[in-house]
Amino acid sequence: MQPILKINLTRGESTQFNIPPAWEQEYLGGASLAARLLYSTLTRELDPLSPDSPLLFLNGPLSGTAGPTVGRFVVCGKSPATGLWAESNCGGFWGPELRFCGYDGLWITGKAEKPVYLSVNEGKLEIRAAAAIWGKDTYESQTLIKNELNIPGTHVLTIGPAGENGVLYANLMCDHGRAAGRTGLGAVAGSKNLKAIAVHGSTKPPVASPEKYALLRSEANHILKSDNMTHFFHDLGTAGVADYSDYLGSMPKKYFHQGVFEGAGNVTGSTMAEKILVGVSACHGCVIACGRVVRLEDGLKRKGPEYETIVSFGPNLLNDNLASITLMGELCDRAGMDTISAGGTIGLAFHLFEKGIITKRDTGGLVLKWGDLGMIENLLAITARREGFGEFLAKGSRRLGLHFKAEEEAVQVNGLELPYHDPRALSGMSLVYATSPRGACHNQSDYFVVELGQADSSIGVEFYERQAGAEKAANVARHQDWKTIFNSLVMCIFANIQVETVLGLINAACGLKWGEKELFKAGERAWNLKRAINHRLGLTGKNDILPKAFLEPYQDGGSAGYVPPFDEMIKAYYDARGWDQETGKPTPEKLNDLGLEWVEEDIWKT
Amino acid sequence: MDVKFPSPEWLQALHIKINSDEHYAKVAKNWEGDMFVVIEPSGPLHERIIYYLDLWHGKCRKTEVLKDLSSVQAKFILTGTFENVSQIMKGTLNPMQAMMTGKLQVQGSMVYMMRNVPTVLDFVRCCQEITSDILA
Repeated sequence: MQPILKINLTRGESTQFNIPPAWEQEYLGGASLAARLLYSTLTRELDPLSPDSPLLFLNGPLSGTAGPTVGRFVVCGKSPATGLWAESNCGGFWGPELRFCGYDGLWITGKAEKPVYLSVNEGKLEIRAAAAIWGKDTYESQTLIKNELNIPGTHVLTIGPAGENGVLYANLMCDHGRAAGRTGLGAVAGSKNLKAIAVHGSTKPPVASPEKYALLRSEANHILKSDNMTHFFHDLGTAGVADYSDYLGSMPKKYFHQGVFEGAGNVTGSTMAEKILVGVSACHGCVIACGRVVRLEDGLKRKGPEYETIVSFGPNLLNDNLASITLMGELCDRAGMDTISAGGTIGLAFHLFEKGIITKRDTGGLVLKWGDLGMIENLLAITARREGFGEFLAKGSRRLGLHFKAEEEAVQVNGLELPYHDPRALSGMSLVYATSPRGACHNQSDYFVVELGQADSSIGVEFYERQAGAEKAANVARHQDWKTIFNSLVMCIFANIQVETVLGLINAACGLKWGEKELFKAGERAWNLKRAINHRLGLTGKNDILPKAFLEPYQDGGSAGYVPPFDEMIKAYYDARGWDQETGKPTPEKLNDLGLEWVEEDIWKT
Repeated sequence: MDVKFPSPEWLQALHIKINSDEHYAKVAKNWEGDMFVVIEPSGPLHERIIYYLDLWHGKCRKTEVLKDLSSVQAKFILTGTFENVSQIMKGTLNPMQAMMTGKLQVQGSMVYMMRNVPTVLDFVRCCQEITSDILA
């Protein structure tokens, strides 16, 4: 890979950092390599919003090569929401453009005295004043910076007011509406007075065997283009799964407390396609084009919501108005806030208000009522500004619950709000949420697609009944390792792509001679390294839990009457992982097997 | 009735089943669409088989065994090898799994298909319930 540019905003200095080749071979790139690079800097004492806190933007070895769905990058650090490992990956064109600058990463520390943005143009760094842009939303900021730089082909990654104001689930946005959404890294950027990063370049990304790679990537894209799932995502977007999800009872309603919502059918990918869809959008080199372009009554074209946003502001809050959900998604995008966490936190507020735990006295007179569209929009706006009751909402559901002495009511794991794939319908998701290195997350392993049918026996990921129990634990672990490889490359998890294709691309791009064994070991190694980081940051086996809501069955809907046998499942999962049953730590034997013996002292002896 | 899949008798039995199944009639009351089911040779099946089914508002209006796809237009074309389609008929391969893994290729409107998942799954149930034997 290419060098990383290390930038200290306090001093206004930069240095070039060459990635040790051995680390590239062990971790490939993306979030896995970021974990290795950041390992020693992520300590329990580190305040994620302090100048010392790192913010690492990193590509993978395939980024920008026009391979199958590899136009992505990751942002990593320590999460202000969870206090644990933070990673978020993002599509669009920004990552490839950074590669074209001759860098594969930007490693940012320090804090600028005044708001700044960075411009990296053909490898040359400029730190520029952002006073005139500070306070602007993410869409305006992208436009203003592009206009100011006036360099055609520039791509801008920016925070919005939420990041500036320290909302703990603030995100970073690029290429209009592409988000590095989760774990609050927008707040970390804001704490550094870093508004945005503009990139532009024309360097061709390095590939070990260019001719071989070109042939393989062409074939891979050709196959991917004709795949059923590609057609599915192209035609329906990620929200295409909503109809089936509702049918199975895996789409949560009323903050995970109601199995059926009559209006759910009004807010699906198929409804969007039938009523408001006017186009699609794609990331760099992507043949899927899952992005939605919709037109509402005002006649303007805008980004259409994906599945998580639809459920977050839709059935989760008993809202069946697709146009309003679209606008709520835009409100979050412009403010630079994660839609999953925003909807989850508002859901908890509604839930606690209904139970009488939160009252009008706490909300400043606001009445929180399910399905009140105006109230949802108002809450989003005051959250981004941290104004009034929004100050509570800006801290996320765990802290909101804690404040009102109802932490157990918050549907979150380790401080990250749950995505909208209910483990009472798809039991494997209980393990995915409980053990994800960044808190409840569906992208470290989108195991729900395996539960829905997308199993792959050729890599040992089998199809189990969706409400099976401990017998699927090893299968979940295997899938996590597989998707960790995706997050290393950085490849979109929507690509239904075969292991031999991935291996061919890696070997041609990196000059390796890997087989499936080496590939999966790299995935498992990174998964365990992130686990080790979290142990260093204070995580124990007691953190691997499910929220209380999932220990109570739904009364109706497609998953009524079932709760996952979580205790048995997590024990089986630890066994499958080679983790200690008492502490949840990877055993010394497991660490040794993965070449991670160097973390043993940190997590076992201190 | 002993109905072996695939055979003209099986298709006829499916026609009768769909038109007499109350649950299917209810679930599929809004379905409007005909389809080709194309079974590609594999294992003991040596020749391609094409079935045509015209499904409309919970009933089957017409079934036909075709020689090729050129004579009729249809809203959907479902294509799979004999081996994979047989597994669906036996219930050892989940139909959604078959679609998501490409074991069953789908041509036609994904929007319509996803909008009508319960109908699709109930159609498969009807197919499974009339299949008492499979070509070996």
